[in-house]
Amino acid sequence: MHFSDDDLRAALKRKDPGEGFTQRVMARVEQAKAEGKTQPAKKSNGSGFLLGWWKLRPAWALAVAAILLLGFAWGGYEYAEYRHQQIAQQERQRLEDLKPQQEEAEQARDQAILALRIARSKLNHVLEQAQIPVPADKIRRQRL
Amino acid sequence: MDQEAANQYAGGQEGRLELALALERASAGDSNAFAELVREHQGMVFSIAYHYLQDRSLAEDLAQEVFLELYQNLGRIQSTAHLTFWLRRVTANRCIDQGRKKLRRRELALEESPEPAADDPPSDPLLLQRFRQSLAVLPERQRMVVILRFQEGLGPAEIAEALEMPVNTVKSTLHRSLEELRKGLTRKLREVRYAFF
Repeated sequence: MHFSDDDLRAALKRKDPGEGFTQRVMARVEQAKAEGKTQPAKKSNGSGFLLGWWKLRPAWALAVAAILLLGFAWGGYEYAEYRHQQIAQQERQRLEDLKPQQEEAEQARDQAILALRIARSKLNHVLEQAQIPVPADKIRRQRL
Repeated sequence: MDQEAANQYAGGQEGRLELALALERASAGDSNAFAELVREHQGMVFSIAYHYLQDRSLAEDLAQEVFLELYQNLGRIQSTAHLTFWLRRVTANRCIDQGRKKLRRRELALEESPEPAADDPPSDPLLLQRFRQSLAVLPERQRMVVILRFQEGLGPAEIAEALEMPVNTVKSTLHRSLEELRKGLTRKLREVRYAFF
């Protein structure tokens, strides 16, 4: 079957909507105006663009919203990971800073233990000396 | 001949200027100017809707809604060319939405397609009638591409802009649509021949 571009143009020739179409449109505009549903939009520099876009392309808008949501979720996860690592690093740093003090404390503890050991040995020596029996003539002489 | 062409050019320029003035006045709230804009573009808007929906009352209703939307968005229209582009795009989108709502393509068999009112005698009435029936069963986008190409005489780039599609997709869609139309017409005419003989 052959048909030419002219056949297509003839089949799709512009049609007139008929008498009174303009009046009917104007009546609808007036009706909408009376109901306060419509008024000519003021010249704008793109304000309300997103709303208009949303109305024209709801599927795209939903896709963008889904992408944004995923982006935020991923960003949130990444941020939580980053914070976790940051806290761990801070904790490691704090322990590093405490190391000299810890060493000093350990030295002090060792010295204290040594001092206690010396004191114990002295005391033991004194006790041993105290337990040795004294000869009787020494006691008498002391009484006199 | 040259004089005639010059007169036509001058007339066209004058018409465009008048339209630009009407657009400016309509944006400022002049109802008469808006009516002038409607008169100028009603044929285009109504015809796109009519050829797409194949239903006069639906097409008229849709065209009225498009002009009502235009009235609400007049402030955003920057020029007469932008106005034409805006009307085509909004009409095309509304037609596609309307078609999806009704699921006309799937629900209607070829035979059930409403006969469009013939306003002017076609060169080959049978061919045009079968052509319209075949057009009615094309998928939404394909149907709109064919209408914009052959009713409005738009090129692939302009169609792509109006329907927000890649140019190559428009070209392939157009090619596929014409193939399907050709097949549909062949099938229909064969059925007619069988009915006669």
